[in-house]
Amino acid sequence: MTEILLRADAKTPVARSALGGIKWRGLLPYVFIVPPVLYLAVFMFYPLGRQIWLSFTNTRLMNPNRSEFTGLNNYERLFADPEFYMALQVTVIYSALAVILGVTVGMIAALALNRPFPGRAIVRAVLLFGWACPNVAASLVWLWMFNERSGVLNTIVTGIGLDRVAWLTTTQMALPSILLVTVWQVAPFVMLVMLAALQSVPEEVKEAARVDNADSLSVFRAVTLPHVMPTLQLVSLLVAVWSIRRFDIIYLLTGGGPIGSTSTLIVKLRQVAFENYDLGLASAYGVIGLILALTVAVIHALFTRHRLKRSQQ
Amino acid sequence: MPHIELDHIGKSFGTTNVIRDFNASIADGEFLVLLGPSGCGKSTLLRMIAGLGDITRGILSFDGRRVNEWTPSQRGVAFVFQSYALYPHMTVRENIAFPLVMDAFRKWYHIPVVNTVMRWKLMRRPDIAERTARIAEQLELTSLLDRRPANLSGGQRQRVALARSLVRDPSLYLLDEPLSNLDAKLRTQMRAEISTLHNRVRKTFIYVTHDQVEAMTMATKIIVMNKGEIQQIGTPDQIYSDPANTFVARFVGAPPMNLLDVTTGRGMVSIANGPSWRHEAAPDNALMGIRPENLVLNPEGDGPIPVEVSVVERLGAETILGCRILSERRDERFLDTDLVFVRVQGNPGIATGTRHALSYAAKDVRWFDRGTGAAIPHATALPNCA
Repeated sequence: MTEILLRADAKTPVARSALGGIKWRGLLPYVFIVPPVLYLAVFMFYPLGRQIWLSFTNTRLMNPNRSEFTGLNNYERLFADPEFYMALQVTVIYSALAVILGVTVGMIAALALNRPFPGRAIVRAVLLFGWACPNVAASLVWLWMFNERSGVLNTIVTGIGLDRVAWLTTTQMALPSILLVTVWQVAPFVMLVMLAALQSVPEEVKEAARVDNADSLSVFRAVTLPHVMPTLQLVSLLVAVWSIRRFDIIYLLTGGGPIGSTSTLIVKLRQVAFENYDLGLASAYGVIGLILALTVAVIHALFTRHRLKRSQQ
Repeated sequence: MPHIELDHIGKSFGTTNVIRDFNASIADGEFLVLLGPSGCGKSTLLRMIAGLGDITRGILSFDGRRVNEWTPSQRGVAFVFQSYALYPHMTVRENIAFPLVMDAFRKWYHIPVVNTVMRWKLMRRPDIAERTARIAEQLELTSLLDRRPANLSGGQRQRVALARSLVRDPSLYLLDEPLSNLDAKLRTQMRAEISTLHNRVRKTFIYVTHDQVEAMTMATKIIVMNKGEIQQIGTPDQIYSDPANTFVARFVGAPPMNLLDVTTGRGMVSIANGPSWRHEAAPDNALMGIRPENLVLNPEGDGPIPVEVSVVERLGAETILGCRILSERRDERFLDTDLVFVRVQGNPGIATGTRHALSYAAKDVRWFDRGTGAAIPHATALPNCA
């Protein structure tokens, strides 16, 4: 588009003298920036601002146009509600474990796949499946597998002589079960990204460490890990943010139950908004989730800045 | 300190032979240079000696003991990489001390928190700290100890790499083109520093390079390699003055040895369609090799080989002249042969296009078989030719 503009400009001397060739050049970057900015404005900044505004009103879903500003009333209700603290706790535990387990499993898989062995390409493709699979389809399949009577998981469990497990219907097992699906879904992504990072570790530096009498664990600690650390931190950030706002898997598998044991802030938000019709309170839930995600992002930024500072010594 | 023996060493990647049947013996304290064009297998060989690459065939022994299966650290070698291979997130001090820290490392230090604490403690252990400081001082790195490799110049990084290899006092130093990433001036300086280092530590050095100047200036012994095979083993002087074949003759020396395509017979030497002159005892079917500095540039007509200067390269202390041999007949003035290079001291003030005649002393001529390229043994006591 810009090329056409520039050419038209060159062909018409009047326009050129009026606007000036240099001026067009200066505008060029903005021409490229406008589409994504427009997109973000419409689909992100506006809803975000709208949500923050809603959290200060008493808007109800049944009558969204009749609302009034109620200040911090929604937040007062939120902080007085034990269910909110429960949801916050579930969100933090779920996200933390999703990061720790997902990143660990993904990293181990990446390390295993980083060395050549016969059939590596096939194994990599199979392991990627969990990530490539649509969440809704995957959740439905997992729902079958978790089924207490006919599910494959209980067939295995009873096969090795244990009692049937109520995977999704007891407060003790529901969150671990959801974490299992989460790790199954997140770890392949971590593996893919970390594998790329591992393959960029310079071979000569690893060899230097071997010559310097480092065993394989020390080579990993001294050379490999520091090299992939920035990537590892970024992946952890992504997994953390995704976990904080994860909805589909949890909603499809347990719907937040039993007794709110898997009800994260987002699942709670849906319930408050679409079952209680309380858009104001639901927005306040959303704002808290946003703050949680921002906190993680800020921690990541601080780590990155610290690393940059160190490397400039 | 090992006496290194390479016995029928071979290396293959799949079906391609990179090194075939390599035999050599390296004495203790030697400065051996593996010299050859890129891709000749010299780095592969060095990596096999270090234990960084498997040996496909043959036996590598240190002091008579087979070491084929030993790890790099068991062999007690130091390796300096072309890319320096410094640990980027560690300071210069941590880089230099790393081999010492690893030597003192116990298995249980791998436990997460213990690891950090013990590495911190080991860095401060008196013997390790002192040794690191001493090596840093020797290589003038003291002021840089707390910097990270990313903020060092190429020469400084190279010195850190050397310090790291020195710190453990190994008996064998392996250097893989360590100067190729430096600029020309720094290279000359580092060359001298590495030579001084060798003289001081008196250990065995094996140095890989494709730069014949590095080989000539630093080596006590050179192995010239091409396509995975040894071309010649000898001292720098032997390699330079008595190349074993045309490959060595052309590879060592800048400009390389002139190889004249001549026909010989009845005490005469002649170039096709060109001049011919007397030369006693010239072998049949041979190429005539002569170093640029052994050719003498005379006024026109005062020598057996008439030439016209077509290239003049002033190098300061000396001048390289690229000459074309003139034809006997006037109508085709130049012969379709390579330029003959002549090295002249100082600035002779010769312009391109001027005509001269070349002469030489018969003792400076080396003969090579036209078919195999191998050197033909020469008799030294011959009278100078006219």
